[in-house]
Formats: sequence, C-alpha cells, structure tokens
Amino acid sequence: MLSRLLVTVLVVAGATIVLPARADIAVIVNPAQNSAVTSDELTRLYTGRSSVLVAVNLAESLPLRGQFDEKGVGRSSAQLKSHWAKLVFTGKGTPPLELATEAAVIDYVAQNPDAIGYVDAASVTDAVKVVLTLN
Amino acid sequence: MRKSLLALSLAVVLAPAVVSADTTINGFASIKAGMTTGSDEQLYGYDDTLDFKNESLIALQVKSDLGEKLSVTAQLLGRGRDDFDVGFEWAFISYQLTDNMTINAGRLRTPFYKYSDFKDVGYAYDWLRVPQGVYGLGFDTIEGLTFYRTAQLGSLDSTLQLIFGGYDGDASLSGVQVNATIDNVAGITWELAKDSLSARFAYLTGKTSIETAPVSLAPGFTVGNLYQALTANGLAPVVEAIDIDDESSNFIGVGLTYDDSNWIAVAEYTRVEVENSFISIQKNWYASIGKRINSFTPYISYERENNDAVVSIYQPYSSVLPPQLLVPLQGLVATQERDASTWNVGLRYDFHPSAAFKAQFSSEDLDTTGQRNGVLAFGVDLIF
Repeated sequence: MLSRLLVTVLVVAGATIVLPARADIAVIVNPAQNSAVTSDELTRLYTGRSSVLVAVNLAESLPLRGQFDEKGVGRSSAQLKSHWAKLVFTGKGTPPLELATEAAVIDYVAQNPDAIGYVDAASVTDAVKVVLTLN
Repeated sequence: MRKSLLALSLAVVLAPAVVSADTTINGFASIKAGMTTGSDEQLYGYDDTLDFKNESLIALQVKSDLGEKLSVTAQLLGRGRDDFDVGFEWAFISYQLTDNMTINAGRLRTPFYKYSDFKDVGYAYDWLRVPQGVYGLGFDTIEGLTFYRTAQLGSLDSTLQLIFGGYDGDASLSGVQVNATIDNVAGITWELAKDSLSARFAYLTGKTSIETAPVSLAPGFTVGNLYQALTANGLAPVVEAIDIDDESSNFIGVGLTYDDSNWIAVAEYTRVEVENSFISIQKNWYASIGKRINSFTPYISYERENNDAVVSIYQPYSSVLPPQLLVPLQGLVATQERDASTWNVGLRYDFHPSAAFKAQFSSEDLDTTGQRNGVLAFGVDLIF
C-alpha cells in the first residue's frame, strides 16, 4: 500500500516536469563593456559573490531561466533559490533584478554600462554584446 | 502661498513613494506539525498529541536601501510556541565599506554555527529542523557589530567575519528559563570554499552570567538557598566554583560541507566551555548526508552529545558536607550530565518554486537514563 502510494506520488511528480526546448543561451553585456566574462565569473555574479557587473535575471516563469540556472550557474532553480534565501534573510545580499521578457533584458543591458544578462541566442540584437554562449 | 503649499504637500506625498522604491519586503514561513511516537516521550517540545504550533513560525523582513552604501534591515518573527508573538530577530544598519567589506551594527545573529544565521529559514536547507543536539545552545542573537570581508585566495572563496557585542536575555538551563548575560563577546568565523567543498571555523569568547538562584532543586529549596547554606557553612569557595557569575566562556565550532548538486554532506563539531561553573564542557557533533533526486532530497543524519557532569566541584568536600547540602549539590551538578545520540531520517520535496514539503523522523537515545524519545514531524517551509 505504502509503496503503491509512493509510486503514485513519484509518477505525479514526474508528470509535472516539463522539458522545455533546449536553446543556446547568449550571455550579454553593454557594448561599452570590454572585460571578458569567464564561466566562473558568471557563477560568482549570479550567486552574489561578485558585484563587478550588475546581473539581471529573467522571471522564474520563463523556461530559459531554468536552463540558465543549470547551464550558466550550475545549480537547479530550487538550489539557487535556497542560496539566495540564505543571503536575503541574513542581510548579506539581494538577488538579481528579474525582468519579465528577453526584450526587457536586452533593453536593460543596452542602457546600463555595467549590466550583464542573458537571452536566447536567437534573440540577440546589435544593442548588446555577446560575451559567452552556453549550450 | 497656495502654490508653495501645494508643492510642499506634493513633496510630502511623493517623498515616501521615492523611499519605498528602495524598500523591499520579503518573508518566510514554516507550518509544521509533529508528535512523539510514545505516550511517555517528550522531544523538541512535542508530546504524544499532534501539535501544529510548536515549530511553526512566520517572519517578515523589511530592508531599506538609503543610498550611499547605507541600508537598514529589520526582521520580525513570530513563533507558534510563543503564540506567534512577534519580536525583532534581526534589526541592524549596514554600511558597505568597499565592494568586499561590510559592517553591520544592531541586533544580529550570533554566528556559532554554519546554519546559525538562517536556522529559522527552513526553506534554505534540507532538514526539517537544524540538528538540535548541536544547535540547542540558545543565545541566538547578539547586540553589537560585525564586520564581513569576502576575498579570493587563489582558487578559494574566503569569508571572514568578526563580531563584537553582548547578549542580555533568556537562557534555558535544564529546561528552566532564566536570565542570562554574556558580556564582551568577541568572535571570529572563517569560511573557505572551493568547488563542492567548504570548511568553516568559529571561535567566540565572552563573560557569561546566568541567574541560577531561582532554579528549584527540591520543593521549597532553590539553588539560591543552596548557595546561602553553603556560604553559611564556610564553603563560599564551593559557591564560587558552581555559580555562573561573569565566567570566562569560549565556543569552538568546526564545520565541513560537501555539495556537488547531487550529494550533500554536512558535519559540524562544537565545544562549549563556561569555566569555573557547574556547566559541563559540551562536546557535540552531527553528520548528515542527503541525495538530490529531481525534486526529492532524502537524507539521514546522526547527532551525538557527550557532556560529563563536573563532579570534581564537590568531590573534595564529599566528606565534610552534610548530606542535606551534598545531595542537592550533586543533583545540581548532575543536571548537566548528558549522553545522547539521535538518528534522523527525512525527506525534502520541492513541490513548488517557493515552497518545500518536509517530513522527518527523529529518534533520541539517552544513554544516561535508557530513555528513548521519537518524534515524527512534517510541514511546509516557504519564502515570499
């Protein structure tokens, strides 16, 4: 009985995992920005260990956000959320600003010389510069 | 006149709006229920009736960025066991000296353990509760100031914290709430991380005073009565050896964490000493391992507490003390004897982007008395 219940729970949980289409993710900065960004530095920027650039995020509801959390920061969205909860509720940090659309991220990065963000590689425009491509 | 009045009232109306743009409100909550597995068992505030209040809590945090690298943070927290009466858990101003140096002043969390700072934020860790065998010391908050410095030492991420201040509040002594102060607290914590591994070291000192006199030893006979009787019998040195009056105290904590996103393992060892008192040297540790499987994180952990009663306090006087004083003295010292081991088995399930369901079974074995206490608890931790 218990094992059947457990199996049911696992099946239900499995069904809720939606696999989004995989896209190449372009990490973008302002065209005026000359510094290179390594993948280590990217992790540091999006975990609050570096504030060399101002990181912006996509809203949690967008599938690309989850893919970036995994590929760009190397952690699951839930793990990252736990990580930021530690910093927020101890006064040690504020998570990156979240923007609702990729266009808003491009706008933000185009207007702020110190900003760093990411969008689907297919969405990149001339207003920003690609420093890293994650696939 | 009218125009300037209008301008003034507009300014008044607009000013708070401008300020609130830099004010963020966050919160966290835990709703948990639990009960012991037997009618003669008590553990973590539970007995054998299902209780939804004991470990539930809710907190609101307001942080206001005042610009020029100055900010103020207040965290209000209400615990179910205190009938959700709200108090300030944190309240401090923060000044960012440089990109990697910050100074905070006000009410802060005493950084004894790896999870001290966020032990109430259940969402931030996998367990249903932090290991009580190690985290049960009390003295959670401190009024003072702290300095943080983050740095990169080669490929290591380093976080150094210095803290100074004092504690003035309650302490739990053998289950009794008493007044306590720790003056001149000075401490250092240092955390080093590389890839999946991190190590933490903490050392704090202070002068501890605990008002033990009201604690009852027998009907109509308190610790204060014992002190008076000992002094009247010319045994003031014994009183000095027992009481907790401005005693040098120190805390050592060592922690190791491994987290490769699949496996997570944590171990901490702590040693607490209050010199020249009946408080035992407390040497406690725990080890925990868990595995993340998609949204599920099952884990198992083991806690060990080993505190020997300081019998050396009364041994030299065993032959001279009359039994009516020796017996309560032995009883007082013996309250500090603790030899316990606890197994915990549990599961975290991230069923929602901002909430986790948890269930945990804990079984404590008291080697001194042979008593076993089991608690089954479950609940939801969330952040907002």
